[in-house]
Amino acid sequence: MNDEPDQELELTSALVPLFVITNGRALPPDNAYERTTLVSAQEGATASARTLSPEARQVLELVTEGFLSVAEVAAHTHLPLGIVRILLAQMEESGLIIARKPVPRAERVDREVLNAVLDGLKARFGA
Amino acid sequence: MNRDALVWCLVAATVLAVAAALVLSRRNKAIAAKKQQAEAVLTQRLSESDLQLTALRAELQRHQDEHDKTIQEAEEAAEESTKAVLKGSARFLQSLAAEQLALLEEIQRKYGGHSVLGDLLEVSHANAQMARKAQGIAVMCGAPLGRRNRPASVYDVVRSAQGQIRNFRRVEIMQQTGFALKASAVSPVALAVAELLDNAASFSQQGSPIEITFQRVQKNLCIVIDDAGVGMSDEDRQKASALLSGDFRPRLSHLGNQPKFGFPVIGLLAQQYGFRVDVTGVSRYGGVRAVVLLPEELWTEEETAPAEDAQVSGIRGAVGRPEPVARTAHGLPRRGARQVPIASVPDRDATESPAAAPEDAGRAAGRSLGAFQRGTLSGRNLASAPSEGSDDA
Repeated sequence: MNDEPDQELELTSALVPLFVITNGRALPPDNAYERTTLVSAQEGATASARTLSPEARQVLELVTEGFLSVAEVAAHTHLPLGIVRILLAQMEESGLIIARKPVPRAERVDREVLNAVLDGLKARFGA
Repeated sequence: MNRDALVWCLVAATVLAVAAALVLSRRNKAIAAKKQQAEAVLTQRLSESDLQLTALRAELQRHQDEHDKTIQEAEEAAEESTKAVLKGSARFLQSLAAEQLALLEEIQRKYGGHSVLGDLLEVSHANAQMARKAQGIAVMCGAPLGRRNRPASVYDVVRSAQGQIRNFRRVEIMQQTGFALKASAVSPVALAVAELLDNAASFSQQGSPIEITFQRVQKNLCIVIDDAGVGMSDEDRQKASALLSGDFRPRLSHLGNQPKFGFPVIGLLAQQYGFRVDVTGVSRYGGVRAVVLLPEELWTEEETAPAEDAQVSGIRGAVGRPEPVARTAHGLPRRGARQVPIASVPDRDATESPAAAPEDAGRAAGRSLGAFQRGTLSGRNLASAPSEGSDDA
């Protein structure tokens, strides 16, 4: 440390730490705002964008006029997924966005099962 | 005969009296002369001893001065060596804290999707506070401050300061600005604001708000910090002003067991980087109003980032009006594979519509859903079945 006594230290970390961007809020529960949850801005939400932090505003701009998945929002904002989830939870709380959950895995139909059923039906009824 | 005798007697008496008077007057004169002589001698002696006294006094003064000087020199030497020792350790802590912040940031990005992120955020908050203390000690010892090599918006500089105090959630930034700080001013202003915020938080009630506003006053940009504390006495105000102007620099050894180097640090920074800090104002809550006055050499009008705007509108365009060639490779096939939209349309209407404004919102929702549906349909048409299958697996 004393090699270069008066050389200035260069700070490379981000100026605004992530915990300030989320204002110290906790992560939403695991099943809320999954990667594939779709989010979209509420009508008229852009009017209140002035009071938002730059990051929340960017998220709002991204999801205005259409749906975008949480994972995509994270990719476009270059923010970690968890941070985006916290921001989204906060924005839904204040009525700026709506979130649509993906269909749970169990409800998804397995193509192979369907194919097997189809094959079975074909075999039995000779369609 | 008798009369003669009487006359003679009288004459004799007169002669005697005259003789006596003569003798007396002569003696008187002699005494007076003696007295004068004695007085002269005394005066001379007095003045001599006076002279001696002043000489002695001067010598005493000289000795005293020398003594004081020696003590001062010794104190200064002690101060310098203390500073040198502290400076080394502060720099070590400073660089370690900076390294840790950078590392933590990397880890936070790496595990951004994991629930450990919540804990990581708390660790980096603790670390940011430690970094501020290390920087404060470094400034007190005359070590250089960590430097940033990019200009930043005043809003972000204040948010950076916000992250360096314990109860940062009490801080509310009431507005955004179109001003940016030059790179060289970013670190010092952030540290000064952080110290002011820390002060505001420690001398006001837990949970009371600390509000930050920005004002442009002639050629200066002001960062105004209002707290809802108890305010300061006139004596405290005077002390604070002396410290903040940088005119009065307390010694490290005078800072005491629980050193308060907030104001001294701000004073040093302000003097070094050419801004001013004033805490004599009264906030709208009756607490202290602290003002950081930034002269025009330290800031510029913020430029808007056109690149970012273009990126955002591009994405928006793609979402609203699907462009199959561009999007199929990325978003749309994926979403098509989920097979969501049609199934959940009624679901969404049922849950969301009552909350929103009735007609307008409904129409807008319809529009956005329509856009979404068109997008997914075109995505599905373009994405071949095998890719859907493999995507799902």
